[in-house]
Amino acid sequence: MTSDSVERQPVRLPKLPKQAILAKTFHWINVVSVFIMLTSGLQIYNANPVFGGRQGMHIFPLFTLGGWLAGGRDWHFAAMTLFALNLLWYGLYILVTRRWKHRFVGGNDVKALQVGRNEKRKAYAWHRIVYTAIVPILLLAIFTGIGMYKPAQFYWIVDAFGGWEALRIVHFMTVPAIIGFAIAHSLLALKVGGTQLIESMFW
Amino acid sequence: MLRRQFLHLTGLSSTGLLLSGCGASYLADVAGTLTEPFNQKIEELLLKPQTPVPELPISQIEPEQLLINTFGFTPKIDPAKYRLTIDGEVNHPLQLSLDEIYKLPFRSMVIRHVCVEGWAAIVQWGGVPLRELIQLAQPKDGAKYVYFQSADRYYESWDMTSCLHPQTLMAYQKNGEPLPIDNGAPLRLAAPIKLGYKQSKWVTRITVKSQLLRNQGYWEDQGYEWFAGL
Repeated sequence: MTSDSVERQPVRLPKLPKQAILAKTFHWINVVSVFIMLTSGLQIYNANPVFGGRQGMHIFPLFTLGGWLAGGRDWHFAAMTLFALNLLWYGLYILVTRRWKHRFVGGNDVKALQVGRNEKRKAYAWHRIVYTAIVPILLLAIFTGIGMYKPAQFYWIVDAFGGWEALRIVHFMTVPAIIGFAIAHSLLALKVGGTQLIESMFW
Repeated sequence: MLRRQFLHLTGLSSTGLLLSGCGASYLADVAGTLTEPFNQKIEELLLKPQTPVPELPISQIEPEQLLINTFGFTPKIDPAKYRLTIDGEVNHPLQLSLDEIYKLPFRSMVIRHVCVEGWAAIVQWGGVPLRELIQLAQPKDGAKYVYFQSADRYYESWDMTSCLHPQTLMAYQKNGEPLPIDNGAPLRLAAPIKLGYKQSKWVTRITVKSQLLRNQGYWEDQGYEWFAGL
């Protein structure tokens, strides 16, 4: 095909995906605050690894934030409020605007996966399942985190998990869950809407 | 040298490298300085001054989980010569021998001892509630802070409210036995409402203050959070 023939094609502008400004704001703050929580959390982890204690495997310093335990805690407790309040207002926003009804996983996605033949629709269903599933995991990170931050005042959170060690493990397991999510979420977004969809969520 | 001190001094490590070249610890200090006053307000609000933290059954004590952390050396103290000094902003400064301390009201508790490093252990502590000692010394009006000096030159400072909590003890008993030297004998702080580094071992002097000094505690002066409430 020559360049000449391209020019003769009728111009059809693709419909670019657009995101609500508040959704983008939430997404940005969430990405940044979760990144800080995760890397500073791994710094804290290194003071006494959840698995194996002092003899346990330490996280490679490149993935940790804060330089040492106190620095890691500084970052963790600086970002926790940002992270939690961001999730809170977003929760209220999707309730008030009823976004939860059409922007999160629903019965139609399950149906698409079960009986549908449209591969693109199926990928979209998976995409929605994955980004809906991360919400309870983020909430679980906060809930277990409060239990570890103030175990004397919120002793019932520690009790709910059957003890300190179990609470620590659950809090830590949100890290691999979030990393796994970030990978799956990016790949599915790429599959569903290409780089245009991804860019629409950031800019 | 502890590994974390080494990492701190060398500035080795960190996503900080990825974020900037300013040095991760410096940025962490900034993040901490900006948010700690707010976090401390929340911590003070959460602390119920006179409500004991629910205690745990004796059967749940975890003797193996309580690790020994010491910043320097383990001091040897002759129990016969030991004196606890209580002074500062008090009307009645005093010195107590161990026998005198043993005669004061005794309280035992089974609580969760939580270390800043992330581990925790269920421990039984027995001793005299700190508030009994503070009442003996009669603090003056405006006494808001309490400093603890240890025989190994470790030092700490607490807010008065936490010192007067019914479960803040000067302990001389651990898991039903006399307090071992490694755990702070003859007398140490023990409380379910503060992180382990606040709970000084080998305490020899308790000084009541109306102001917090520039030196707030051995670890705090290197960057640890001061209030450290649980």
